[in-house]
Amino acid sequence: MKILRNISFGQYIPRDSLIHNLDPRIKILSCLAIIVSLFLITKFSGYLILGNFVLISIIISKVHPKFVFRGLRPILFIILFTLIIHLFMTEGKVIYQLGFLKITQEGLIKGLLISFRLFILILATSLLTLATSPISLTDGIERLLAIFKFIGVPAHEIAMMMTIALRFIPTLLEETEKIMKAQISRGADFESGNIFNRAKNLIPILIPLFVNAFRRADELAIAMEAKCYRGGEGRTHYRELKIKKADILTFTFTVIVTVMVSIMF
Amino acid sequence: MFIHIENMRFTYSLGMPFETEVLKDINLEIDKGEFVGLIGHTGCGKTTLIQHFNGLLTPTSGKIYVEGVDLNKKGVNLKLIRQKIGLVFQYPENQLFEETIYQEIAFGPKKLGLPEEKIEKRVREALKMVDLDYNFYVERSPFSLSGGEMRRVALASILSIRPKMLILDEPTANLDPQGRDNILSEIKKIHYNFGMTVVLVSHNMEKVAETVKRLLVMYRGEIIMDGTPQEIFERHANDLIKVGLGLPQVTECMHKLKAKGKDVYTGVLTVDDAEREVLKKMKKPLKR
Ligand SMILES: Nc1ncnc2c1ncn2[C@@H]1O[C@H](COP(=O)(O)OP(=O)(O)OP(=O)(O)O)[C@@H](O)[C@H]1O
Ligand SMILES: [Mg+2]
Repeated sequence: MKILRNISFGQYIPRDSLIHNLDPRIKILSCLAIIVSLFLITKFSGYLILGNFVLISIIISKVHPKFVFRGLRPILFIILFTLIIHLFMTEGKVIYQLGFLKITQEGLIKGLLISFRLFILILATSLLTLATSPISLTDGIERLLAIFKFIGVPAHEIAMMMTIALRFIPTLLEETEKIMKAQISRGADFESGNIFNRAKNLIPILIPLFVNAFRRADELAIAMEAKCYRGGEGRTHYRELKIKKADILTFTFTVIVTVMVSIMF
Repeated sequence: MFIHIENMRFTYSLGMPFETEVLKDINLEIDKGEFVGLIGHTGCGKTTLIQHFNGLLTPTSGKIYVEGVDLNKKGVNLKLIRQKIGLVFQYPENQLFEETIYQEIAFGPKKLGLPEEKIEKRVREALKMVDLDYNFYVERSPFSLSGGEMRRVALASILSIRPKMLILDEPTANLDPQGRDNILSEIKKIHYNFGMTVVLVSHNMEKVAETVKRLLVMYRGEIIMDGTPQEIFERHANDLIKVGLGLPQVTECMHKLKAKGKDVYTGVLTVDDAEREVLKKMKKPLKR
């Protein structure tokens, strides 16, 4: 049951920092710029610069690094897995041999590069979600998507669905925990047995969870209708997003760094 | 002694940015056969406390024993503890999931590995305890029932484990007055007819007070009062109001009479008791 509460993804940590106060659009675009350049870079020194760039942003954000690095935990396995695959599967100059397994220099370099790439990618996106409240994040996404309205992208609807989904993640986690506890009290067992039994044991959790989620969705729909919700057309915002000087400076700086790094390395 | 708690503390999300200490230094003993009410304002930690009784939560510090067994010791068979202590969650109808009511109530006994005849016996017995007719209900889907019926089925699905102690978290929440009285009278019956130890959690004391024999009052994670309902309402009326609980209406009425100089006993819980007390203290008895 502990597992559920330790998911830090999407958990906003409020602080008063430069990063927190940036316009969400700037933060999203900067994050995208970093991600794009991560995939263009082919040298260690490039990753070193970008990695430091992200680390400095974490320090500026005043969010304890502990929480940012916690985001790495779920994908640590994937990173290790790709590293190992690359280590053993790449042809090239052999630098270490153990039986039929051999590690090549090329494999080592490739594996490490990809690990760094994933590593920095997760750090950057974790920082984005940790330092941006879900509301302003979806606000930012809505405004960014609005650019594509002319090709029929329903920006407001997408943003509304994201808002609702984000809003209900903690609720569903809480509910899952409660249902688990209740079924354990009724004699259910979620910790022993083989994979198939364990999957079968999830039924007492999943059915109530779905039933309650559907009921909740129904109630929410009725409540929204009662409040005359009718989509994005002509809808104004309580908080208007405004680009400030700090936003322009930050974004310019990020773009310069990422473009330079991508070209030079 | 059935449950014994020593200096127990509990903090949610220990070491996280949102950590909150919810239980502060709980000391408590509950004997076999007691009928205990646990009341307190919203968020005072009632639900958190009772989840320690069957090992769903582990104390941050302090000890809890069930029939002398230390729940924190390594290798304790918590399944056995959960079989002894039946915990009925708030809104238990939200945890129903089987196709038929029979299967729903048979879930616990099945997990105990009982043979089919015994399971059926237990289902019959549990349905009877909550006053539902076996033949009429067993084949129906639990989702086709009314809220009150669903809650009884959920209660039966705990009773079928045959716990020695029954803990109910707000069993009357969201029920109409009749549904509420029905559930309470069934709980009373289970206590008196089967000698079941019962802990009843609520933040509505009106009904609880006249149901239980011992009342625990919680305030901000501590148990601040412990005694019979009469004692508590007589002696601690002001403190109860201070911790945001107030008194049952009749009790409050008696306290007001006393404040006006009438020498009445203020530990009454029901309208009938109040009537008797007032009539007794009247100089000229009324003709009825
Ligand atoms: N899973 C949890 N994680 C973190 N905090 C929690 C959790 N569950 C409860 N709390 C907090 O602990 C405190 C006590 O909660 P608890 O549910 O025990 O109160 P309660 O007395 O049962 O209240 P109510 O009468 O509303 O049911 C509350 O402040 C609540 O916000
Ligand atoms: Mg509660």
